[in-house]
Amino acid sequence: MSAPVKRTQWDEDPTLFRKDHGLSKKVLLNCCLVRWIISWASPNKKDSVEDELELSAVRHRPEALELLEAQTRFSRKELQILYRGFKNECPSGVVNEDTFKEIYAQFFPQGDASTYAHFLFNAFDTDHNGSVSFEDFVMGLSILLRGTVQEKLNWAFNLYDINKDGYITKEEMLDIIKSIYDMMGKCTYPILKEETPRQHVEIFFQKMDKNRDGVVTIDEFIDCCQNDENIMRSMQLFENVI
Amino acid sequence: MAAGVAAWLPFARAAAIGWMPVASAPMPPPPREMRRGQDGLIMLNVSGTRFQTWRNTLERYPDTLLGSTERDFFFHEETNEYFFDRDPDIFRHILNFYRTGKLHYPRHECISAYDEELAFFGIIPEIIGDCCYEEYKDRRRENTERIQDDEENENNNDLVLPELSFRESMWRAFENPHTSTMALVFYYVTGFFIAVSVMANVVETVPCSSGPNRAKEVSCGERYALAFFCLDTACVMIFTVEYLLRLIAAPSRYKFVKSVMSIIDVVAIMPYYIGLVMTDNEDVSGAFVTLRVFRVFRIFKFSRHSAGLRILGYTLKSCASELGFLLFSLTMAIIIFATVMFYAEKGSSATKFTSIPAAFWYTIVTMTTLGYGDMVPKTIMGKIFGSVCSLSGVLVIALPVPVIVSNFSRIYHQSQRAEKRRAQKKTRLARIRATKSGGANAYLQYKRNGMLADAEEEASKEAGQSLVCKINPTFETQHHHLLHCLEKTTGNRLETIPVLLGAGLPEKQPKLQSIWI
Repeated sequence: MSAPVKRTQWDEDPTLFRKDHGLSKKVLLNCCLVRWIISWASPNKKDSVEDELELSAVRHRPEALELLEAQTRFSRKELQILYRGFKNECPSGVVNEDTFKEIYAQFFPQGDASTYAHFLFNAFDTDHNGSVSFEDFVMGLSILLRGTVQEKLNWAFNLYDINKDGYITKEEMLDIIKSIYDMMGKCTYPILKEETPRQHVEIFFQKMDKNRDGVVTIDEFIDCCQNDENIMRSMQLFENVI
Repeated sequence: MAAGVAAWLPFARAAAIGWMPVASAPMPPPPREMRRGQDGLIMLNVSGTRFQTWRNTLERYPDTLLGSTERDFFFHEETNEYFFDRDPDIFRHILNFYRTGKLHYPRHECISAYDEELAFFGIIPEIIGDCCYEEYKDRRRENTERIQDDEENENNNDLVLPELSFRESMWRAFENPHTSTMALVFYYVTGFFIAVSVMANVVETVPCSSGPNRAKEVSCGERYALAFFCLDTACVMIFTVEYLLRLIAAPSRYKFVKSVMSIIDVVAIMPYYIGLVMTDNEDVSGAFVTLRVFRVFRIFKFSRHSAGLRILGYTLKSCASELGFLLFSLTMAIIIFATVMFYAEKGSSATKFTSIPAAFWYTIVTMTTLGYGDMVPKTIMGKIFGSVCSLSGVLVIALPVPVIVSNFSRIYHQSQRAEKRRAQKKTRLARIRATKSGGANAYLQYKRNGMLADAEEEASKEAGQSLVCKINPTFETQHHHLLHCLEKTTGNRLETIPVLLGAGLPEKQPKLQSIWI
């Protein structure tokens, strides 16, 4: 057997190796076997390094306070309070969909809030990168709590329009309504029947779809909501939440 | 709800705007906002160590000292801070509870000091987080046991017994020989007679020196038959009296008769009476001799006197499955090797391996590495298989034995711990149920009354002995309003509120194992 070689050379092409040192095939196989045994014994080396990189990349720092103050309608103090709560719950600075679903589900223990949480997540995640950062969160809240009625209705339309094509179809609405009914859970009075969500969708479309083309556009939606007193009044409901 | 999740309530309420356009009924009015002052920093001085936190953080738990107005008693005007003359190291954990919603138990702290601090600050130990709860309970139990032992040692010197009936006191004397001198005397006397009886059984089979005019040797039992008979009678008399006394004193006679110890007692004294009853009939004398073997069971009566024997018996019983497996695998190996050896040695002449059952003896002796040498293989194949047999015997026997030994200690400790955990689980479930029932009933109450102001009072009444600090009632009412909005959106009513097990910490998926109230 030749003198022991550096380990890095094993990564190179074994044929080169053989040519340079004139080793026999048998010895080469032994080396490969030994290498295989060593790599089998410590398989997680590469993975753990990758995992660590991934974890550290997830830390996110939000924009400066002044910038957020300019972009949203919250005061400095309110932003501070919001961020403290946000950071306490999500130390990494971003919320991914699963965490979002978990947090939202805790307010509705009786039912399954995961579908609605999914739609909500997509509505907040405006840049569609799979995670809600503090900026997304605060922008969304700014519209919901301090925005004009127009903006709120816009946001609601965006929520209902699942594929973001500018039209709400009956299927999209059915999904949304079903997810809301899911949040109620099983123990309701009266018991939830199969056709209740569908009926609800029909009522909604009868009200909103003015030209009866089977879809609701943003203008139809906003017009119709502005003419409905109940909806207008309920939009002002949560003004004092923060 | 964990305190942290309450921080997301404003977000959930804002997101409820998404329900508004599809609502089938008008929304309920929002709850009255109680404008608490500006959120400010509070300075807490604990024996010189300064802690600072937001006022809101402390007011998350209004049932505790720091969260309620009780802290005003500790306000120090000169320095404009709250001063507590307590341990700052333990206070750190208490303050972290307000911040994170989880109470941790530091392992290096003394359990009674920690308990005192918790009691002072009005925090119930049941809310210690899952990570530290087991440790806390273990330490607590050790501590209470230690205190109890100390008390018992003190009390044993000056016995002030309550008035027990004669029967009860007799049973107590039998169970705990240390309670009175009479019991102790009885304990030692029975122990002595058990030993004497067993010794007599052993000695009477020893061949005594025969007289010069006798042809063969006789055993001592035959030579001194009368003496041994009297000894046996005396022992059996004592045992019978003891058994009858125990039977009279037992609180549950049926249970006593079924117990193992009483069966051993009966088996120990039966042969004597049967022997008395039976006449010197030639036919039955053989059976009678066999019956005398049962007298050796008297040795098991010692287990009342030795705790170690009892533990051994119990662990053998609980390791029955492992022992059974060992026996089964041994049987398999014996049959295999006996068959192989028989057929290997079949060819050899004048072989001792006359049949497979005969080869069993060889296999057992070889596998347990006894090797008596009364049966040895002669053919080459026989010798090869014989060596394989002895090697595998070492493995088959040596491997499970340490497993069984470790099983002993594991099972023993486990059975103790299983009881502990079962009891803990019940109380924790009850605690969680009490909290959640307090919350859910509060919601239904709130809807019935349509009012918000009384919700927190009703909640605390209905939760009964609320074992856990309540969360901020403002958050409760806002959460209830949110649920009410959801009801109005769908047009259905929530009948019962299920309860989430595991207080909804955001790291884990909340277990959807809902229990209906």
